[in-house]
Amino acid sequence: MTTATEPDASPGTADAVAREAQGLERLTGYSRSLRSSEGGGTVPGAARRGRPRLVTAYAKDQALLNTPAKRWWTIAALVVALLAPFYLTRDLTLLLSMAMVFAISGIGLNLLTGYAGQISLGHPFFMALGAYTAAVLGGSPGSTTWGFELDLAIALPIAALVPAVVGLLVAPLAVRVRGLYLAVLTLGLLMLGEQIFKQWSQLTGGSGVGRGVALPVLFGRDLSVRYALGPWIIDEDISLYLICLALLVALGVMARNIARSRTGRAFAAVRDRDIAAEIMGVNLLRTKTLAFVLSSAYAGLAGALMSLLVGRIVPEQWNIFLSIQLLAVVVIGGVATITGTIIGAAFVVLLPRILEELAPYLPFIGGATGGGIITIFQLETILFGALIILFLTLEPRGLFGLWYRVRTYFKAWPFSY
Amino acid sequence: MTATTTPTSSAATTHATWHLSRQLRENAAQMPQRVALREKRHGIWRDITWADYLANVEMVAYALAALGVGPTDRVAIQSENRPEWLYVDLGSNMLRAAVVGFYPTNPVAEIRYLLQDSGARVLVAEDQEQVDKAMAVIDDVDTLEWVVYLDSRGLADYDDPRLLSLDEAVARGAERRASDPELLSRIDAEKTPEDLVTLIYTSGTTGPPRGAMLSADNISYGTDVFAEDDGMFGSDGLTHDDVLVSYLPLSHVVERGVTTWGGLRNGTIVHFAESIDTVVADLAEVQPTVLFAVPRIWEKIQASVAIRMANASRVKRLAYDLSRRLGDRAAQERIGTGGAHTPLSRVLTFCAWVLAGRKLRRHLGLAKVRMALSGAAPISTEVLTFFLSIGVLIHEAYGMTENTAVATANRPGRVRLGTVGEPQPGIDLRLDDRTGEILTRHRGTFIGYWNKPEATAETVDADGWLHTGDVGEWVEGTHLKIVDRIKDIIITAGGKNISPSEIENAIKASPYVREAVVIGDQRPYLTAIIGIEFDTVADWASRRRIEYTTYRDLSTKPEVIELIADVVRDVNTRLARVESVRKLRMLHKELDHEDGELTATQKLKRSAFAATVPHLIDDMYAGTSEYPGADLGRG
Repeated sequence: MTTATEPDASPGTADAVAREAQGLERLTGYSRSLRSSEGGGTVPGAARRGRPRLVTAYAKDQALLNTPAKRWWTIAALVVALLAPFYLTRDLTLLLSMAMVFAISGIGLNLLTGYAGQISLGHPFFMALGAYTAAVLGGSPGSTTWGFELDLAIALPIAALVPAVVGLLVAPLAVRVRGLYLAVLTLGLLMLGEQIFKQWSQLTGGSGVGRGVALPVLFGRDLSVRYALGPWIIDEDISLYLICLALLVALGVMARNIARSRTGRAFAAVRDRDIAAEIMGVNLLRTKTLAFVLSSAYAGLAGALMSLLVGRIVPEQWNIFLSIQLLAVVVIGGVATITGTIIGAAFVVLLPRILEELAPYLPFIGGATGGGIITIFQLETILFGALIILFLTLEPRGLFGLWYRVRTYFKAWPFSY
Repeated sequence: MTATTTPTSSAATTHATWHLSRQLRENAAQMPQRVALREKRHGIWRDITWADYLANVEMVAYALAALGVGPTDRVAIQSENRPEWLYVDLGSNMLRAAVVGFYPTNPVAEIRYLLQDSGARVLVAEDQEQVDKAMAVIDDVDTLEWVVYLDSRGLADYDDPRLLSLDEAVARGAERRASDPELLSRIDAEKTPEDLVTLIYTSGTTGPPRGAMLSADNISYGTDVFAEDDGMFGSDGLTHDDVLVSYLPLSHVVERGVTTWGGLRNGTIVHFAESIDTVVADLAEVQPTVLFAVPRIWEKIQASVAIRMANASRVKRLAYDLSRRLGDRAAQERIGTGGAHTPLSRVLTFCAWVLAGRKLRRHLGLAKVRMALSGAAPISTEVLTFFLSIGVLIHEAYGMTENTAVATANRPGRVRLGTVGEPQPGIDLRLDDRTGEILTRHRGTFIGYWNKPEATAETVDADGWLHTGDVGEWVEGTHLKIVDRIKDIIITAGGKNISPSEIENAIKASPYVREAVVIGDQRPYLTAIIGIEFDTVADWASRRRIEYTTYRDLSTKPEVIELIADVVRDVNTRLARVESVRKLRMLHKELDHEDGELTATQKLKRSAFAATVPHLIDDMYAGTSEYPGADLGRG
């Protein structure tokens, strides 16, 4: 051992440099010269089957569908979703399309509220922006309203882009506040938007009148025409259904990947404690802004799709009730889960229809002729309110959380942990 | 007892000697891209193909050659199981040098002895812990020239010139290779069947460890006998499809035989557990097809199931209990048939499997096990029955380093619980007419003890019979039952011969007992010193709201003593009057290797142990009760 006072041990001399290099060489826990590889070899099928947790490559470890069970169920769900419209009535197809639109919008809101923890009541405002952008770009011009009759392939991306840019402009305000203040701020945004939309009649057709929506023309192909694909007849409603499905899958996978990336971890850090996140090196301004922009883009696209489904949009429909419905999607489906949001959207959209079907058997519900204690619409509102309260207090992870519990229960079988 | 040999088969003479290093080259040529080994690094199982395997072994061989290792030298290694262990093993084999494996738990004093005795020129030490041990003794050992370490963490500041990282050694090896590329093939040409391949130090429950010399012929014979039809692994032997987990110490003959030699000969896929603490999780990931475990491991698995089930919810417990009852019924059925299924047992096993068995076996890593083996120590029938009830038939086998572990094994379909099975095919095995000692004779009998010709002469007689030191007896004329170590048999003051291990195993069958030592040589009656199984007793105590702090505190609680006393009372009811344990005292600490009470393989050193607790023994025979324990009366 040489001591620090001896000249040859001072930094900079050849000996010290050599020793430094040797020290670095000795820092790792593994040899660098010996050969091994990630998934570089082959094994007989019998040695591979039935060992889903034996991961030999990082990519496999990170795969979304990392178990055979998940793979099979996903494939089955996709097949069912693809075939469903051909066996359902028009109105049910429309309802399912609407559920998917709610799911896309809900995923956007979940990225902002569930993952990044920024509560927003202004989500319908961005949906409206998307809807009007699509209507102006893709719709036919009316007597007072604008319309450029562009293809959906152009109108839809821009319908996502415009709200994203507006989100970017609003974000600096929103990132300054949090919690209750943020809720009030976004509510303000919603009200401001409603007034603008009511007044700006070239864009929206004006209060109470509304305007037509984008023409269903995608890649030059008119979707309102009936197509035959083998034994299947594709009507306009089925076309729209399939577009919604494709977008939902693509956007859902994208959101899921964002959530488990560095960005997603930054979102979660900000949600759990923004001060702590900042100390860990998460850039608050950038992270929150990104969450707003992403969420606005999702909302815009959902708004555009929704306008296509309903056929005519009025400024009054982008109101606080839609806001609450979207929050219900997130809370009932499950905060910070993508699958849960889709389940939640289906639940929220289909519940009124289910209640309608049940109404004849429930004497306390008044029908179209009156009588009974409450109407279906009242019951629906009450149920949403009650469910939001119940889920928030009992199972904050929503329907997905319930499913997760069931899965965990059987996963550990016959143990409890 | 009369001499018994199995019908002589011609197999014994047809096993040609093969060499480990040549087998490796053959495998690498035939299936270069096939996975040979897998090691877990940062959660990912990395593949090591046969081509990689050979390349790595050659690198290490040249590295050792560059450090001066040549034919007839010894290379020592002290490491947990990891691929490098095998590289050093086979790399030395390429140089015709012998490998000596040390246990990672071997303390400094033993390392000094082992290094001096074996005369190793190079010691491969796994990490900082082992390097520290080596550096503490390196100046006392003249023969030791180099210490090579595998895991560099924490070693950046060590600057002894005799210390090298594996990478530094490999770099030297590369220079050597450049200057003499024909070195390995030149040495390979000189290989003979008599080459010393390894020294395996047998822990020796008495006296210092002795290095058993195994030759290339011993090893090739032993490996082939295990894998052949009707050998230890059943009619299929080991195959390419077999998946193994290497976690028992490689310094022990069994793990070497399965992981290194068997894996090489039969082309299996060997997985190295990330560390000794993660074995349970690793087993569940890998789901091995062949699993060899020592009784201690099987007991631990059983105990963990018991604890986790006790904490499970009511519904799950109900399903599990029902499954166990069906499984037990099936187990009873199968015990009668030697392990083969009957239609009834198939139905029962299926029901149990659906209820809980399937998931349970998945959690334990036993879902794909087609061949479960136990050896190295006696295992209680309770444990065997438990595993049989979840559908895992454990085959008990018997062997020792000195006969390359070739002696007896239970075969699929011919299992007798409580026996170690039938002799391996083509070997001579008999019981000594006078003492009942088990004697074996075959090509796997070792060359002798390293530098201890007189010990060798005591063990192998002029006719080539190996004296195992174990007393056995025949069951139904075909299956061998081990009674005890010949030196451990207790002769009471009344002149009665008693096998303590039978009683000890009956007591240890309780999940609450980890260690039981029966005492009574030259004494009027038997007594026992008992150490509790901390995990299960702790769980039991917290369930009863008994507060405790340490192991010592827990084991001396009156409630715990009463619990243990009940276990012993229960055992006493099943024993003859002279065999019943009259008194017991509790151990105050867990036994371990460092303190010299256990051997590296966790076997009790009876004499060394008795010397550490004379006060407890005196307390029992003097009729006092100064130390915590219980007097059970005359049972």
